[in-house]
Amino acid sequence: MTRAEAVALVLPLLADDDIVVAADGAISREAYRAHDRPRTFYMLGSMGQVASIALGLAMTRMERVVALDGDGNLLMGFGGLALVGGLRPANLYHLVLDNGCYATTGGQPALSQDVDLAAVAAGAGYRWARRCLSGEHARGAMEAWLAAPGPALLDLAVDASDVDPAPRVPMTPEEMAARVRAALAT
Amino acid sequence: MSASRRLDALLAAGVGFVAGVPCSYLKTFFAGCRELPLSSFLPAVREDHAVAACAGAWLGGTRAAAVMQNSGLGYCLEVLTSLHLMYHVPLPMLVSDRGDPSDFEEHRILGQRTRQLLDLFEIPWAEARPGVEGDDASWLVAASERERRPAVLLVGKGADS
Repeated sequence: MTRAEAVALVLPLLADDDIVVAADGAISREAYRAHDRPRTFYMLGSMGQVASIALGLAMTRMERVVALDGDGNLLMGFGGLALVGGLRPANLYHLVLDNGCYATTGGQPALSQDVDLAAVAAGAGYRWARRCLSGEHARGAMEAWLAAPGPALLDLAVDASDVDPAPRVPMTPEEMAARVRAALAT
Repeated sequence: MSASRRLDALLAAGVGFVAGVPCSYLKTFFAGCRELPLSSFLPAVREDHAVAACAGAWLGGTRAAAVMQNSGLGYCLEVLTSLHLMYHVPLPMLVSDRGDPSDFEEHRILGQRTRQLLDLFEIPWAEARPGVEGDDASWLVAASERERRPAVLLVGKGADS
């Protein structure tokens, strides 16, 4: 399963009022292409902060907050994992699209090939954390993850190869933030 | 009323979420934070996570403030530039003003350039004045919201009240 396929698989499983934080780089672009929605925040920079942005939302909102993260991204901001595990917001759902490398910058290997991210999340205090290695089981794993008590993390293995790259999100950063703010103000 | 007049002033100015990493110059402020509801205070493990969480809270409609030692500005720089400054996210910040010549060595190199660093990124700043916590908080929140960017109140030794 490609990362883009995994992104396209998870978004229809979410409720309309779920709030999504999509990681900077390919994940945001693929989320926009698969299913743009006003309650998705598209990150462009600040790599490593997906979980922390989601945590600020989860602590101050009642709705479910879904973080669409990458493995390299999560490793860069590992302290964010400790914060989610330690504070344990029940409405935070963390999906790691784990291709084991830094695909955007040329496929350099990431430490996630040797570090079990789900085990770390469980150790940090997530109430549910699992790893799914097979694309054919991805949908079932996502459904189990979304039905689990939060905070919950699913580390989903995806292909390292990047085929059919998605174009950049055609909004300015200011427009992206303003749209999420407006959607959450109603 | 909390243990901290500065915290009370921020709450009165509409701040509903605080995230930060402690500094000994901000002991009173952090003592106040410990009295906040669990959903209103994030004891962050590093300053970049604190400011990122504040951006999340702001996206959700809650006015959020970050608090840290000035050494933490280094960790924050990538997030302040590619999240707050780029997306035009307001962020009131309380930052301790470490690094004068009598302070320990580890505070001096960044501490003595804190104002230059803020000026370089056009982040408005002011020095906290004991006794006028309400005015300081009003300035801080208004400056960050007017310019839709981070604004910093530098808290020197003895200005944590």
